[in-house]
Amino acid sequence: MSSLRNAIPRKAHKERAQPHSRRKFGLLEKHKDYVERARVYHQKEQTLQKLKEKAAFRNPDEFNFKMIKSKTVDGVHRPQSEANKYTKEELMLMKTQDIGYILQKLQTEKKKIEKLSSTLHCLENNSSNKHVYFAEDRDEAREIRAKVSASREDLTLEDLQLPKDIKRKIAASYRELENRKSRVKELEKIYTDMTMQKELQKKGRKRKLREDEIVCPTSRPVFKWRQERKR
Amino acid sequence: MVARPPTRGRGGGGGFRGGRGDGGGRGGRGGGRGGFGGRGGGSAMKRGGGRGGGRGGRGGGMKGGSKVVVEPHRHEGVFIAKGKEDALCTKNLVPGEAVYNEKRISVQNEDGTKVEYRVWNPFRSKLAAAILGGVDNIWIKPGARVLYLGAASGTTVSHVSDIVGPDGVVYAVEFSHRSGRDLVNMAKKRTNVIPIIEDARHPAKYRMLVGMVDVIFSDVAQPDQARILALNASFFLKAGGHFVISIKANCIDSTVPAEAVFAQEVKKLQADQFKPIEQVTLEPFERDHACVVGGYRMPKKQKPAA
Repeated sequence: MSSLRNAIPRKAHKERAQPHSRRKFGLLEKHKDYVERARVYHQKEQTLQKLKEKAAFRNPDEFNFKMIKSKTVDGVHRPQSEANKYTKEELMLMKTQDIGYILQKLQTEKKKIEKLSSTLHCLENNSSNKHVYFAEDRDEAREIRAKVSASREDLTLEDLQLPKDIKRKIAASYRELENRKSRVKELEKIYTDMTMQKELQKKGRKRKLREDEIVCPTSRPVFKWRQERKR
Repeated sequence: MVARPPTRGRGGGGGFRGGRGDGGGRGGRGGGRGGFGGRGGGSAMKRGGGRGGGRGGRGGGMKGGSKVVVEPHRHEGVFIAKGKEDALCTKNLVPGEAVYNEKRISVQNEDGTKVEYRVWNPFRSKLAAAILGGVDNIWIKPGARVLYLGAASGTTVSHVSDIVGPDGVVYAVEFSHRSGRDLVNMAKKRTNVIPIIEDARHPAKYRMLVGMVDVIFSDVAQPDQARILALNASFFLKAGGHFVISIKANCIDSTVPAEAVFAQEVKKLQADQFKPIEQVTLEPFERDHACVVGGYRMPKKQKPAA
């Protein structure tokens, strides 16, 4: 039967809207909205009542430090200032907490470089070192010179025929080494900057040196501490 | 005091100190299996990463085509490994053992035999640095008898012992007991190394242990190292033998430039019947170091006219 009833289209009941004449009051309030409003109203009422009760039963001898430390200015409560909530040491620790992390990263990078460079010996490129031969007389010197230049040519001709993938691997290893080296340089710079900041935050009179006072020129600021007699 | 290696084999000489020597056990690299395509003619191939065992218990791993080409260096007994590394190495006399946690490279030959090489770190060894510096002849070759002054913990000594092989002998002299302990432990596993914990200034104290040698390698870093070398050479070095001395300029005179110090040392050597042949600085690896190679009591050259 119900299916029959469903078959007949029924009139759609529309929600009642705010009458046009009362449009200035906004959307028409429904019961649901009223419930919400009433709940909030009663909550406020209860809070007020509780506060009134508290005020009525107040102990006149009650004291705590906030009463004198905080005050009202033009009827507005001003909580006590939190400027010196942390001590100087605590602040310094908080500001420089990353320094340990940076140092740790620096050390791991250095270790990795050491490990890599122990197996990467730059066999290809001729190094910057000096090779001296000792000869007793002119003839011997000439002989040695001829021999050395001949062996040089041999070396250039010898050029190793390596498979392509091995060449690629070697190149990748050297690239990694280079990257790590540059990373260490950056980390070192960050680390020195941070330690400088930390030192500057400590006690002791210091001042920034002028351009003309710096002995060995750097782009970084240079500070000088006043000599202090230590016990 | 003299420390001789005890009888070989396990159990002899009161236990091996665990420590540095035995890398073998750990899982280590997964290493490559398979991947036998495209091998270069005559070159050998790396298999299995050399550290033994795979990562997860089952041998090998999925990584394929990991391999290394090892070829002989100009100097006999020294090799060059090319792969992920680009390194100088020596053939390991005691396969499966690393001396100072250096990397080992295992290679399979065409006929299926395995050879293990140890990477030789030039940042730790002046001899390796000299080889990479392009020295013409180190005179240390398979079968040579070598007197090594200033052996320290035996890192370089182990490579020298690799080079001279089972036919050669390395007499390693070290004064410090502390590093001498590591030296002795290393020598326990290498039959061709004879550790001597003694002051190299007094060769008479160990003259009973050392026979005539072909080459003296000296790395003592003392102001009077030329004298030490001369003293030892007069006792043990054969006429026409050779010396290799590493000079640290700072240790001799830190006030004058390094070049001057080297020249001065060479002068001293020449005064002691040594004939220096060549000198290389160990530049990218060590600062202000030089390696001088030469002969001792060399026979007079015949005049070409005669």
